[in-house]
Amino acid sequence: MNRPTDTGRRGHLSEAELFGLAVPPAGEPEALPGHLSECLACSRALSEWKAAVRELASEETEAIDRRSDAEWTAVEDKTIAAIRRARAGRRASWRWVATIAAALLLFVLALPLRRVASRPAPTRASTPSSEMSAQDRADDALLRDVARLSRGDESPDDDWISLVPDPDGNGGNKPGQL
Amino acid sequence: MRLRVFGLALLLAGAAASSVRGQDAFEGKWWKRPGIATQLGLTAEQQDQIEKIFVRSRTKLIDLRADLEKKQLVLGEAMEDHSADRQDVEKKIVAVENARAELQKTRALMLLDIKQVLRPEQWQHLMLMQQNAREAQQRLRERVRERMLEEKEKAPPPHPKQR
Repeated sequence: MNRPTDTGRRGHLSEAELFGLAVPPAGEPEALPGHLSECLACSRALSEWKAAVRELASEETEAIDRRSDAEWTAVEDKTIAAIRRARAGRRASWRWVATIAAALLLFVLALPLRRVASRPAPTRASTPSSEMSAQDRADDALLRDVARLSRGDESPDDDWISLVPDPDGNGGNKPGQL
Repeated sequence: MRLRVFGLALLLAGAAASSVRGQDAFEGKWWKRPGIATQLGLTAEQQDQIEKIFVRSRTKLIDLRADLEKKQLVLGEAMEDHSADRQDVEKKIVAVENARAELQKTRALMLLDIKQVLRPEQWQHLMLMQQNAREAQQRLRERVRERMLEEKEKAPPPHPKQR
């Protein structure tokens, strides 16, 4: 799968290719391009995208059948725009990419929340607190880390697994790596 | 004694299964997020109870996370070292997995305690929300991916790559 890429003269994987690898269709894992085993920058970039996509997947959303086509298209447009903005920041840290994902996430969440706001408020004996404090945010990060580590996901900075060549022989490890 | 061990094993298995089914729902401090709290109908009392359960585990989780990350770092260094001894690397792999198991156990037991604070219908709702979120996110990913690939196909062919 050493296919040509469309990003720059150095032959790095394009954002579309990275996104495709970070977000494979359900049940269809793609073989990793050999280029990934040779290029630390692309390997890191893929880890960054996987981390950003994980962030996207970790929040609640409304049932999909309640979402209109227009709403879906708006979310798609916003997602693609975020990906294109990220292209310029290829060398930025993974935290920066995660920030984009978080901004996108807010937009995704805004759709169901807008509807919730328009409904009559549920009657409850007491109301949960409405904002997260700095401590809550730190705890939130801790719990996400714990969940990720419990699943066995490697952190973006030491994702040495991604340097292993794919089983059908594409690529290989660069001398000095693994 | 055997019964107690068996009981604990059953509890852990149940907690592990639940955490696998709802792993994303349990990521982060979901009980403090207004959207989830409102949809679940969490009371302030329930939030407080869940918070106390979490706080009881917090220090241990921080320590276990640090322990696991340190062991992963040591293993990563050994994997990159050409002269590393195979048996030594094997020990480091085992150390990482033991540290991970301890972290998983602590997390699973905390989640089990949290689950007991929720009413059954709240738990079911949380699982349903999780399922909806997974489907919605998967659909978004697939749609975005298809659009990006379509746009790539429409774009002019790239110049041959210079490696």
